[in-house]
Amino acid sequence: MNGLETTRISSRAILWVALVLLVVLYGFPFLYMLFTSFKTPLETIAVPPTVLPSTWTIENYASAIGRDGVVPSFINSVVTAVLSTAISLVLALPAAYAVTRYRTRYGRFFIVGALVMRMVPPIVIGVPMIGIFRSLGISDTSFALAIAHATISLPLSIWLMSSFFEAVPEELEEAAKIDGASRLGALWRVVLPVTAGGIAVTAIFAFLASWNEFLFALLLTATRSQTTPIVIANFQTQFGLDWGAMTALAVMYSVPVILLALVLQRHIVAGLTAGAVKG
Amino acid sequence: MRITDRRFAFFLMLPATAFLAVFVAWPLVQFVSDSFFDISKFAGGPRTFVGLANYVEAFTSGDFTNAAWRTVVYTIVVVFLEFVLGLTVALIFTALGNASRVFRTIFLYPLMIAPIVAGLLWRFLLIDNFGIVNQLLTEAHILREPGQIQWLSDPKIALFSVAIPDIWLTTSFISLVLFAGLQNIPGDVIEAARLDGASYPTILFRIIMPLLRPVIAVALILRGIDAARAFDVILIQTNGGPQQSTETMSLLVYRTLVRFGEPGLASAMGTVYLIAMLAVSVTAILLIWRPGNENTR
Repeated sequence: MNGLETTRISSRAILWVALVLLVVLYGFPFLYMLFTSFKTPLETIAVPPTVLPSTWTIENYASAIGRDGVVPSFINSVVTAVLSTAISLVLALPAAYAVTRYRTRYGRFFIVGALVMRMVPPIVIGVPMIGIFRSLGISDTSFALAIAHATISLPLSIWLMSSFFEAVPEELEEAAKIDGASRLGALWRVVLPVTAGGIAVTAIFAFLASWNEFLFALLLTATRSQTTPIVIANFQTQFGLDWGAMTALAVMYSVPVILLALVLQRHIVAGLTAGAVKG
Repeated sequence: MRITDRRFAFFLMLPATAFLAVFVAWPLVQFVSDSFFDISKFAGGPRTFVGLANYVEAFTSGDFTNAAWRTVVYTIVVVFLEFVLGLTVALIFTALGNASRVFRTIFLYPLMIAPIVAGLLWRFLLIDNFGIVNQLLTEAHILREPGQIQWLSDPKIALFSVAIPDIWLTTSFISLVLFAGLQNIPGDVIEAARLDGASYPTILFRIIMPLLRPVIAVALILRGIDAARAFDVILIQTNGGPQQSTETMSLLVYRTLVRFGEPGLASAMGTVYLIAMLAVSVTAILLIWRPGNENTR
């Protein structure tokens, strides 16, 4: 038990009240968005506003889904996020392993470089990327956007994976090598299975980074490969301020990742703290 | 034939190196080199070398220095409030021990939500006339009437209002990271201090904070970098307005480029922004984080 845990009933009661209040305050915005999405379009802009809908309706959901480009944008978001997660993992796994296991001078340079790249404002590399993708002939494709998103998630993945590889005892590989495995074989058959949990965590973070990204999507996509965050943002200019449909789409876009969090919460906490606490 | 370990390690890092070189380093070089040219806004248009003229224009324009200050203020407000709130929550979690588990889970969810959704949501909550926040504040008799505070349309406070969704989204990150850090503090150290009659503030500032320093440093640096790069959250709420009062560096570079069509000037502004970001974060890392320094582990 941690020395900071309090056992006095009175202070525990006060802390509980404080925590519940905080959670209510914290959760309220999201709940309000959820409730609004079930109001009639007219009630969403009623004065004065009410918290709960007077009549519950899925009208906003129907009109959001029915809009041009909404369904394709969802597909684009999924395809882009999956592709960019794959790119990040394929590149990050061997690199992070090399950094932690072999500790060469180049490895140190590499990991510091990856950290520095995390500080670059996306607007700075997003603009030249437009020209690069044009000359590669992949403008306005999910693949191009996935590459752009991987520039964000790759440094993060390298950083996370090195902290997971660090936890693997070296003896494990030595044993495999004595049994005749090559260095690559030891990595593939011994180290990767042991770090499966860590790989899952890294994949979640890479996926989230792409799913929620906005600036690259804004600069690099036109109509074909547009992701949902862009569509959500466009609601306000193209169709006036349709808050009902906007909140419905925002809810629909958040539900998959919230479910993901629900299923994988232990892993997510592990990932959040891996980089920082061990780092 | 067997290659040396050093070569082997290099080959493993080669694909990632090549990727980062082509898609991060090369665009960076192009961006910085653009800052020395006057570039036509049309693709394939003329490109004339102008030396440092874009930099001179950037530094002599009020927009640039104002945006720089706003970015600094925004970052400090966001990081400071997140730290105070995040540490408070982490300490409450720790004080309640295992019983706080459910709440720790709830605190995870904001981290999943897209910044664009958060910005949009808060814009909706804070609208002057039919926003629920002012309505509830009026019902609680804190405001006389809902239009009294114009969160996003009063230039004096808009920069602070646009920071709310950022704080709402990522305070959880700081709480969860600090909570994990707190679990690693040996209980007997705190027990000993308590037996010596140390008060809670003394324990907090003299023992907990110094022991947590590396964790705090990492959390604040990571959040600071993100806050200084904030773009979508602000764009969706105010688009930099009213009267440019929420136009931070990312937004200014974007506007100079897209709306004014001046890639050269935008690149000069972005290059200064980039150098400042790197300088500040590297200094912060060297001063307080010290990665690899055994004493701080």
